[in-house]
Amino acid sequence: MAKRELQEINAGSMADIAFLLLIFFLVTTTMDKDTAFIRSIPKKVIVKDPVPVEERNILSIKANNQNQLMVRGEIFSDPNKISEFILKFYRTNEKDNDPTNNFPMYSTATMSMIDAQLDKFDQQIEDAEKIGASKEMIEFFESSLKEWEKKKASLRLLGGEELREINGQAHVRIEVQQATEYSIFAKIQTEAEEALYELRNDRSMQLWGIPYSVLKRKVAQEKDKAFDEKAKLDLLEILYPTKIVEVTPKK
Amino acid sequence: MSKFKKDSSREMPGVNTSSLPDIVFMLLFFFMVATTSKEVDPTVNVDSPEGSRATELTPYKQRSEVDFLYLGKPRNPARAAEFKMGFALSLDNVVQPTADGLYNTNAVGQWKKDKFDQKPARMTAPLEAVITCVKADKSAPSGLIFDIRKELQEINALTIAYAVRDNGLI
Repeated sequence: MAKRELQEINAGSMADIAFLLLIFFLVTTTMDKDTAFIRSIPKKVIVKDPVPVEERNILSIKANNQNQLMVRGEIFSDPNKISEFILKFYRTNEKDNDPTNNFPMYSTATMSMIDAQLDKFDQQIEDAEKIGASKEMIEFFESSLKEWEKKKASLRLLGGEELREINGQAHVRIEVQQATEYSIFAKIQTEAEEALYELRNDRSMQLWGIPYSVLKRKVAQEKDKAFDEKAKLDLLEILYPTKIVEVTPKK
Repeated sequence: MSKFKKDSSREMPGVNTSSLPDIVFMLLFFFMVATTSKEVDPTVNVDSPEGSRATELTPYKQRSEVDFLYLGKPRNPARAAEFKMGFALSLDNVVQPTADGLYNTNAVGQWKKDKFDQKPARMTAPLEAVITCVKADKSAPSGLIFDIRKELQEINALTIAYAVRDNGLI
């Protein structure tokens, strides 16, 4: 019997198979990025008598069922101008407090004041542990202590003598109604984000000459290494905190 | 009598295509690695509104770390009439129906809890820090979004993200 030659496998259709797979993956994958505004929902607590907030500290932005806007009691026709108004809200009293206007006041914290606060909370935690206070109580003191420590680090980074801060109650309040379109709600969020970006970016450029977005990207990319950038971000966030309150619409 | 006589018996050699699969495979692997797969093809139509300066949700982490909710008009127009204001909530591709024919946000809490319990061990974020992203249609009523928000608050899942289409982002 003659020896049969070993036949080679025809690989010509291999490319077809690979193409088929390629096209499958091309079709089933999405390239779009997911972008969103991240907000935290306040913890559910029952407050008997809430602390009254001064009118000057509230920047209320309302949208009704017909998608019409109202900012601080005045009808707003151009939603793109909201960010300008938010900037005004933050900047009016930034240099000097003028009690005659209706915008939030700034307070000045010095290093010795911050140290005093730190000592106070240290003492309070100690006392609370001694008398066996509730867990929430101790947690609250610890979070306050952390906040003041952050402030101390920020003031050190800023140099100089004092830290000028906007009133802790100052906030942007978004009030929509049941049928307000989501696009309007998103537009208000966008405008608030734009204003905060501008505030922080201007400050960042003035202090270090680095755009805010560059700092943010760096921290997001090298979470454990970019300590310098993280401290700078913390400072900017203390100077211009994101305080947005979303009011649940009435039924 | 030319010196270069055409050799009519010689055939044109075919191009060697044996490396073609290699090239195609290379392309295939590139696409497999570079793309994120769509986990669900929602049963509702969602056209996100435009926004700017939004945070990128999944730049360096896996998509599975974020839970997505879809709020839009059902793909099947016949079903749209069943839901309040024509909008339905899609949780993992299940449009939430209710006995009274209204949309149901009550399912959000249970859904979120189940999702959290099923997370692999390497994701250590506590429930209140796990992002829940609401992808809502631009004409969806805000009331529904606040209903979802309330459900999340109820179970202490305190991080919400409102999805927008960001054109300014690179």
